[in-house]
Amino acid sequence: MTKRLTEILILGAFLIISVGLYKSTADFPEMVQGSTANYIRFLAASLGILCLVEAGLWMRKKHQNQSKKLNMTGAPFRFWSLLILMFVYSLLLEYLGFYVTSTLFLPMTMFVLGARKVFLIALTSGGVLLFVFLVFGKILGVPLPESGLF
Amino acid sequence: MILESLQALIVPSSLLAVFIGTVSGVLVGGMPGLTATMAVALLIPITFVLEPLTGLILMGGVYCGAMYGGSIPAILLRTPGTPAAVATAMEGYPMSQQGHGGLALKVSVISSFCGGIFSTAVLLAVAPILAIFALTFGPPEYFLLAILGLVGIVSMADDENSLVKALISGLLGLILAVVGTDPISGQLRYTMGLTDLYDGVAFMPALIGMFSISQMLDLTSVKRIVTDTSTLKKIKREPFPKGLKKFICLGSLTGTVVGILPGEGATIAAFLSYNFARQRSKNKKLFGHGNPEGIAAAEAGNNGCVGGSLIPTLTLGIPGNSVAAALMGGLIVHGLIPGPELFTKYGVMTYAFILSLFLANVIFLVIGLSMAPYFARISLIPTEILIPVVCLFSLLGSYAMNNSVLDIFMALLFGFTAIILHRTGFSLGALILGLILGPIAEAGFAQALIIGHGSYSVFFTRPQAIILWIIIFLLLLPPIIQISRQSKDRAAEEEPKAE
Repeated sequence: MTKRLTEILILGAFLIISVGLYKSTADFPEMVQGSTANYIRFLAASLGILCLVEAGLWMRKKHQNQSKKLNMTGAPFRFWSLLILMFVYSLLLEYLGFYVTSTLFLPMTMFVLGARKVFLIALTSGGVLLFVFLVFGKILGVPLPESGLF
Repeated sequence: MILESLQALIVPSSLLAVFIGTVSGVLVGGMPGLTATMAVALLIPITFVLEPLTGLILMGGVYCGAMYGGSIPAILLRTPGTPAAVATAMEGYPMSQQGHGGLALKVSVISSFCGGIFSTAVLLAVAPILAIFALTFGPPEYFLLAILGLVGIVSMADDENSLVKALISGLLGLILAVVGTDPISGQLRYTMGLTDLYDGVAFMPALIGMFSISQMLDLTSVKRIVTDTSTLKKIKREPFPKGLKKFICLGSLTGTVVGILPGEGATIAAFLSYNFARQRSKNKKLFGHGNPEGIAAAEAGNNGCVGGSLIPTLTLGIPGNSVAAALMGGLIVHGLIPGPELFTKYGVMTYAFILSLFLANVIFLVIGLSMAPYFARISLIPTEILIPVVCLFSLLGSYAMNNSVLDIFMALLFGFTAIILHRTGFSLGALILGLILGPIAEAGFAQALIIGHGSYSVFFTRPQAIILWIIIFLLLLPPIIQISRQSKDRAAEEEPKAE
């Protein structure tokens, strides 16, 4: 996907949001029509106008710029693997609890990103979990997700 | 009374409390997702078993330490430990990438120290008088102050494209802040039936996603944060750059003034200071690419907020910000009611507490200066080890605010979206600032209109409002002039080519 196409899609989405937002204020209670509803209408109108202005500026410079590819990352495999691993981690957190999920997440992610020294992976993972247990769990008393299964 | 307060402070228990509080504050501030507010609030039950003064001093130390601590991961990992450190991340992280992370940390700690000392001195000298000034600000002024904060970041744009995109980003942040509960009617808006959104989009997971997770995703394509490691191989003690004094002074003053205003926070103080510095700087082009002037102003600003925020808290019982609110809770629990009595009947304790803030600033200065070269070595850690650890803390930090798994998904969504927005030229700073300032802007706007019976003239009638409009105009003028000059230059260049 080119950068230009992405920009157009983003501006289009923002324009749709601004229209939707503006229309939604009609359903607000009467008591806020003169206050918060006005504020939201102001935001929506401003967003819509600015998107049109940006689209206009883009049209003016269309002939000047070559179409560049939107380069998300220089290492697609590592990028998408990390994103997927974090997503799966978030899904499993409520079922397996923080410590089990993190024990799986840390070494797996390090391995996928290129770490190969088993001792270093184990030491880092263990050290981080111990730190979290002591600081978050014991000293600060921050409640961590617990397993819903066991 | 000051002498008696000093005597009460220099006992071993009080000195230990300052030290432990400050060190804890630096550690808490350095961990994304853990805020100074959380740390101070968690300390309140602990202070039950302590003497009132010792408990207060502990909380004050945490406050000071956390305001500085947030800058450490902001500079080294582009992961602000506190929202107030976002501006620091914008300058500090590029310096880390250039191998000057140690220098950035040094500038940060010295500036924080100066800002903290200045605002504490102001607190000591003129607290009751300045509190009266704070009371003159009403809803119209709070709305304008929020706009001022946003205009500041937007005014950093270099050309008309990025100015429009920065405005769009700021607006997007303001729109995201609308999700949740209407501040006037209590009606739920755009929550899609999710109870976790009843209080709105939490800004901390958004902040962590946009700055930390997106950065970690970016780092997957490199082996280390610093590409040229030869500059970091030996512990290099770089000299403090010249010419930062005026930016530190600017930041300290801005932070103190903004801190005095109830409800405003260190984030606004930091961004305002940063933008004022950019306006005054002779090296404007370097901003965003590793300019220590930006760090100096931002850090002096956010630590300058500490003393400032305690002025309305101690004198009027109106917290300067959320951390001051938590601190006030601690005061009340010990029977110390904010007001004139604090400075008379309990004067010894109050002044001892204020004097302890001076000490807390000295402690984090010593910690920061001695540890900065070692902190900077975090940049040498290979990314395959660093990324998973930072991601784990980021996700944990997102969860810790509200114990909500939805916040973790929000952080991931913001992180991924941030990469796309950043690649297409939108401003993440403006977006997060819009999200943080949104509630203040909306409440101020709505209340002002109610007060003014629907008339918009309420935003233009009071002297305080007019002054704010003037400052907004002055912030917007330079970039508009610069952009129109650039357009004329471009048009002049294209004419001969067309001929």
